[in-house]
Amino acid sequence: MDFDALISGLDRHTLDGITRGSIYALVALGYTMVYGVMKLINFAHSEVFMVGTWTVLGVYTVLGATSGMGVGAVIGATVLALLAAMLASAGTALAVERIAYRPLRKKGAPPLIFLITGIGCSLVLVETFGQVLKAFFGPPFGRVTVNVPSVIETKVVFTIPGLDLPVTNTRLLIIIGAIVMMVALDTFVNKSRLGRGVRAVAQDPDTASLMGVNQERVIMLVFVLGGAMAGVAALLFTVQYDITKFDIGFIIGIKAFTAAVLGGIGNLRGALVGGLLLGVVEVYASQIWDSSWTDVTAFIVLVLVLMFRPTGLLGESLGKARA
Amino acid sequence: MIRSSKTWQAVAFTAVAGLALTACGTTDTDGGGGDAGGEDCNFKIGAMGALSGANASIVIPSVDGAELAIKQWDNDECEVTLERFDTEGDPAKATPVATQIAGDDTFIGVLGGAFSGETRATKTIYQDGGVPMISQSATATDLTQEDPVEVFHRLVPYDDYQGAAIAKYLTDEVGASKVFVVDNSEAYGEPLADRVEETLGDAMVQRDKTQVGQTDFAPTISKMESAEPDAIFYGGYIAEAAPLLKQIRDAGIKAPFVGGDGLYGADFGNAVGDAGEGAVVMCPCAPIEEDSTFAADFEEEFGNAPGAYAAEGYDAMTVFLKGLEDGARTREDMLAFVNDYTGEGLSKEIAFDDAGDVPAENVSYWAYKNEGGTLTPEVEVKPEG
Repeated sequence: MDFDALISGLDRHTLDGITRGSIYALVALGYTMVYGVMKLINFAHSEVFMVGTWTVLGVYTVLGATSGMGVGAVIGATVLALLAAMLASAGTALAVERIAYRPLRKKGAPPLIFLITGIGCSLVLVETFGQVLKAFFGPPFGRVTVNVPSVIETKVVFTIPGLDLPVTNTRLLIIIGAIVMMVALDTFVNKSRLGRGVRAVAQDPDTASLMGVNQERVIMLVFVLGGAMAGVAALLFTVQYDITKFDIGFIIGIKAFTAAVLGGIGNLRGALVGGLLLGVVEVYASQIWDSSWTDVTAFIVLVLVLMFRPTGLLGESLGKARA
Repeated sequence: MIRSSKTWQAVAFTAVAGLALTACGTTDTDGGGGDAGGEDCNFKIGAMGALSGANASIVIPSVDGAELAIKQWDNDECEVTLERFDTEGDPAKATPVATQIAGDDTFIGVLGGAFSGETRATKTIYQDGGVPMISQSATATDLTQEDPVEVFHRLVPYDDYQGAAIAKYLTDEVGASKVFVVDNSEAYGEPLADRVEETLGDAMVQRDKTQVGQTDFAPTISKMESAEPDAIFYGGYIAEAAPLLKQIRDAGIKAPFVGGDGLYGADFGNAVGDAGEGAVVMCPCAPIEEDSTFAADFEEEFGNAPGAYAAEGYDAMTVFLKGLEDGARTREDMLAFVNDYTGEGLSKEIAFDDAGDVPAENVSYWAYKNEGGTLTPEVEVKPEG
């Protein structure tokens, strides 16, 4: 145990944790929104994120983007990749809803059935990239780790005065990007007309229907929004880590789901708090021991939090999530 | 939970024991048939390994190598066929394959297992059937050192040697005195890193562990920044090595990066991109010269350059073929022949000690440097002496 390493570099480790946690938080939004409205854990959401990372790779490949391009071209390529990833992830989420959930809902299937079709969808998507596309197109598809061109060259943009802590452009992009998307989504759900529909269905689906809220449309909206957030997460992830893989969503999906539960599943702000907290706890644990202890520590923290606050840090309901 | 898993183990054990017994029974009753097969000298060699899935690229070239050895074999008397069995590297799938091969007397030998796990699971089945095994790539130390069986032989040095060779490369070739050792906390990486640490002694500055599936290595990077190593060793596989190395270079750490044979393969260069330039991968596989007749023949036959362990696969098959030339017509004769075999192979000078290993003095490691996405041989390192 090395508490000195943790204390001496606390500022740095906190920044590392927030960077890691920002991505968890963005992916967690998808789990939390779907749960808030449908009381369902969408296990295929990790693959919605995975599709986003591949889309980023696809856009970069088509554009032939590299870090050697001018600033304008780099920004253009990144924005294009962002939009494409949001579109592809939202489309995938919507397709999962249409194929795996809607037909069952129409037939009034019991809740457990949705879980297994979700897992089925997840496996199909994983194998689509691991096997099917490989059979048709060959590399880069398949079961190997793939390099995503590092379009934004990592540079230190400024140093936090007093702490002597250098902040790189990629970290800044991730943290700011995550927070902006979070605030935008929160405002949308709490202020807009469509958002009011989402909250209404989350609080009481039957009454919402009676009041003229189209439940099916709200469900579609929730999947699209959650998917788009996973697309943003996918771009930010590739910016920082420069890789993708057919099963890249698996671990991040589990962590994001954990973050959602930690913050209070069904609660948008809870996803942010849960994600950031989980990221920071993981990085602290890696400093005190090493990275093989991150999961042990993170889940002990989860259990402890749930013992005292069984509905997560900020409570459960999407409908009531207004401060 | 515990109870149910015990029950499950009991069921599995009974099943395996039953299969093994069946295997013995079949061998006994078919004994006469085997002798008859010996007269016209029609034999099969089974190749057991991951022929599909994520790890197929480190197995298929070796089996192709063996196929080439048969094609090039100049012999009218005997008819030998190589039969491929896909185990996906999974011990559970390898067990029925082993039972099938052991129970069929037309199989006079086995090429494999390609991986250590499947070899561990099947070697007693082959031992009971008396089938000689020559593995082209199973490197786990325990296979010969802790729990040896007479039928098992291998053409690659075991993992303990690799740790020593890597440490030697780091100190002698790189000239490092402050090595940062990282492993992936699992069955391949951790013991390998332990052995590197042991051999390095004071030349290691810090040790850290990562996890399989990890993508964010910021905690390891910050430890490296304060340790200021002059070389970095990573014991693990490509999936984690690629993001780790990218993040090391992104952080401006320029220390040479060295990995074990878990990184050996064409996929490494593709996954790591520009950040991998100059990274070194150690492997017990001797480079095949591009203009050699073996490389040319292999390419003509299979349409691609010989990949991982192709020469070892060729060598293993050559040992079996020499056995047939020598008049071995039963598994027993073949086993005796393999045990005493000595000869110059493509990969190394071949001989087997009592445990089934190639003697230490015949073994060497090669450091391959990643240049523009391809691993090019740099220098030979002997773990001992």
